[in-house]
Amino acid sequence: MSKKLTWILGAVALVALVLVIVLFAVPRAEPAVEEPVVEDPAVEEPVVEEPEVEEPEEPEVVEFRQSPFLDGRGLSPVAERLPRVPKIANELPEEHLEKEVGTYGGTLRLVTMNIDWDADLFVAMNEPLINSPGVRGEEFTPNILYSFDVSPDQKQFTFTLREGMRWSDGELVTTEDVRFAVEHMLKNTYITPTFPGWLRAGADPNKAPGVFEFLDDYTFSITFDEPYGGFLAVMSVQGWRGNDALLRPAHYLKQYHIDFTPLEDLEPMIAEEGFEPGEWHRLFMLRDINNWELGNRLAVGFPSLSPWIMVEAVEGVKTVFERNPYYFKVDAAGNQLPYIDRVESHLVEDMEMILMRILGGEVDFNREDATMVNMPLYRENEQRGGFRALLSEMHVTPTHVFLNLSNTDENWRQIVQDVRFRRALSLAMDREEIIDTLYFGHAVLPTVWADPTFDIEEANRLLDEMGMTVGNDGYRLGPDGERFTIPFEITEHAPDMVPLSELLVEMWKEIGIHVDVRTIDTTLWGTKNTANELFATIMWQHGPMWPNVHWDQNFWAPSWYLWHTTGGTQGEEPPAEVQEFYNLLSEIFVVPIDQHEQVWNQIQQSRRDNVWAIITAEEVKQPLIVNARLGNVTEQGWAIAVNFSAEQLFFRD
Amino acid sequence: MLLGFILKRIIQLLPLLFAVSIIIFTVIQLPPGDYLTTYIQALELSGIEVDAAMVQTLTREYGLDRPAHEQYFIWMRNILFEGDFGRSFQWNQPVTEVIGERLMMTIIISFVSLIVVWVIAIPIGIYSAIRQHSLFDYVFSFIGFIGMTVPGFLIALVSIYLIFVTTGVAFTGLFSTEFIGAPWSWAKFIDMLPRAGLAIFIIGMAGTAGLIRQMRALMLDELRKQYVVTARAKGVAENKLILKYPVRIAINPMISTIGWLLPSLISGEALVSIILNLPTMGPLMLRSLLAQDMFLAGSFLLIVSVLTVVGTLISDILLTVVDPRIRFGGVAS
Repeated sequence: MSKKLTWILGAVALVALVLVIVLFAVPRAEPAVEEPVVEDPAVEEPVVEEPEVEEPEEPEVVEFRQSPFLDGRGLSPVAERLPRVPKIANELPEEHLEKEVGTYGGTLRLVTMNIDWDADLFVAMNEPLINSPGVRGEEFTPNILYSFDVSPDQKQFTFTLREGMRWSDGELVTTEDVRFAVEHMLKNTYITPTFPGWLRAGADPNKAPGVFEFLDDYTFSITFDEPYGGFLAVMSVQGWRGNDALLRPAHYLKQYHIDFTPLEDLEPMIAEEGFEPGEWHRLFMLRDINNWELGNRLAVGFPSLSPWIMVEAVEGVKTVFERNPYYFKVDAAGNQLPYIDRVESHLVEDMEMILMRILGGEVDFNREDATMVNMPLYRENEQRGGFRALLSEMHVTPTHVFLNLSNTDENWRQIVQDVRFRRALSLAMDREEIIDTLYFGHAVLPTVWADPTFDIEEANRLLDEMGMTVGNDGYRLGPDGERFTIPFEITEHAPDMVPLSELLVEMWKEIGIHVDVRTIDTTLWGTKNTANELFATIMWQHGPMWPNVHWDQNFWAPSWYLWHTTGGTQGEEPPAEVQEFYNLLSEIFVVPIDQHEQVWNQIQQSRRDNVWAIITAEEVKQPLIVNARLGNVTEQGWAIAVNFSAEQLFFRD
Repeated sequence: MLLGFILKRIIQLLPLLFAVSIIIFTVIQLPPGDYLTTYIQALELSGIEVDAAMVQTLTREYGLDRPAHEQYFIWMRNILFEGDFGRSFQWNQPVTEVIGERLMMTIIISFVSLIVVWVIAIPIGIYSAIRQHSLFDYVFSFIGFIGMTVPGFLIALVSIYLIFVTTGVAFTGLFSTEFIGAPWSWAKFIDMLPRAGLAIFIIGMAGTAGLIRQMRALMLDELRKQYVVTARAKGVAENKLILKYPVRIAINPMISTIGWLLPSLISGEALVSIILNLPTMGPLMLRSLLAQDMFLAGSFLLIVSVLTVVGTLISDILLTVVDPRIRFGGVAS
């Protein structure tokens, strides 16, 4: 029923918009006379009639304001730079933050250890087509899109862009940009060798790609041959998807694309970059900046839709970003966002240096590198450094334990594929102690993903039942008569991995299981995991964000999951109950959004019953470092949600 | 004679370079995966989904889909015929630009450290030898040993922390945050001095101890010799006596290794630079090797190899100049 209402209101809004265009066409042609004034004359009317039912706020906005930073730059009035209906920022839900109208100005300093890759910056700048307030995946609202509509059979999705929305260089955003992205990039095998899986029905890489139709300058539709109810979720934040798959600045990229510029004209540029003659696609991909490359020094001059655009890279130690004058979001009072004028991302060589900078008050926002282990130091220096260390929730799970069920070693398989073994390990894990030791008590016993019972007797009973007799040294023997060992190979992706492994050695000794721990190089670990050679490992993953269903299947059975994703061409066939689990994971993409919760509950039930992975804790907190003067910051909800809504941050003074 | 010697050595350089380049290329390629493996893993750890299609695209973009030997030939060809050292994957800039940005600072810091080490160590070494077993001797030997045994990065870490805790100033790099990228000014220079000073002190400390002991040992050897006693008996002034004869012999080993200063000036000291966050070559090189940034790491190592050979040549020539006992063609004829 809400969809029908959307249709009607959408049609009304469209008609109203057309009227507005006609009525205001004349005065728009002449540049406004009084320009140095910050406040712009009222030009908009229909902002009141917000057609999106999902929009939480419906203020009456009659005038738009811009940051003084943009005055005197010869830009057109802010009302002309914003789309007809700008988006009112809603990245943080009402229940987590009572938003304030902020003040303009300031420079946000970030810090990173990777060249041209600042995770905090990336999240802050990411702009998906559809967003989910709080990044929870519970509600979906249009972001870059003006509206979206789903057909009842979950097969056809119609999207409308915001009229008047512009790229950061002033060019209009239209469906031509979508058409270019789809037909000249996604379908060009030089640039995209395989059509992406998420644009196929059910996000299944083996199904047919969606069919695009471009209805007018601002509307386009995608039709799948099978139901794909989870498409909106996949489009919004799964894998930190941005807008770059479906929306590219066609006017800029056409000059590097062979379908529009002849090869002879491209050759000089190709040679200049040091590529071999004829390799136009390498030149193209170098010039094309996708959403995670927006912090790369090559992004200077690239049209984007993010709140800040890159201006320069300084001496290889910092990159500088300034506000995008054509950014499409405003706050409830009509101020064009973001509030903060500049962002700087500083490169440092070492983790300790990041800590040093935070303590010295030289970092205004840090989520990616803030760890619980350093919390005492943060608290000690909060006053002196002028920052606050908030305790927010972490969007990734804490470290979990994975046994590779698909490893080819027969002796290993016989034991670990028996659910009693996994259950026994889970029963023997003293989770309270883990939470107190690793997370200083800032986590809870798992209830959703696992059964937190701590019962050593029951664990021993299960292992006895399995026939694992205890040897002379107190450790149990495997089917081959030798002492059974769980050989962990871990890499230090997080500071809690090594301590957890040390705790496990002691805890599982109580039930007679021998545990061995080795730390290996990161790349080697990744390679071994892909090759199905790991036996046991410890890792975190993006679990709680449910639309992101790439949880941990790759870790507890890489070979079986490979079978599933390649349609049976590679890997090993999984047993029936595992295949059933994988089917559930696929199903969650197919069913309509309002049925997701059911499937979700089934998935979790399967995890609790089968102990595919051994879960340590849930709702782990993480520190979020913010400058004490920053406003619109909340400790509730996920730290990454605050990061995502960086356009709403402002400096108080 | 000298010219012939130099020419012969330069000709020897070419096959050596060829062999070195192959070894460098192979060793950098040896670890599993390639640049993209690390890059993609970093992206995935931040939650970005990189599907198989994107991996293929990226592989093409970086030219990593070519077989190893083809990559090698293209690299060598570009260096020899165009002076083009290739493109750094990490920085997305030509290698020459990346290295060039940091070269000046590296050379300055290395050079000043070196001068500081010499200025401190040589006089102390000489004095320790002359006044052997004096308090001065013991005190400086002790300090020297501490500098030698305690790792430089540990001293660096502890110093930054102590400075922060006592003064509240965080030494987070060569310049304070507000001066990075700003044009040079007196204020910027003053800001840099204590930080650069700390860096030079720590980097120099390890080298000082070794040099002091070396000077001292050699001097002691020489001071016992007959000619010293003779010179003294003949009435030569003590200072002139010491400086003109024993010191000249003791300096000999230093001269013979002076050529290796050339490559070390360029590479700089890595560990301490990483801890102190200095914008020098050391951290750059470590990153490039860890990330398997083939062209950056390979080209830089190649340059260092060339400089090492050139440096050795310079050492040899200097040695013949300084030490009359050494002549071309082996044992004095």
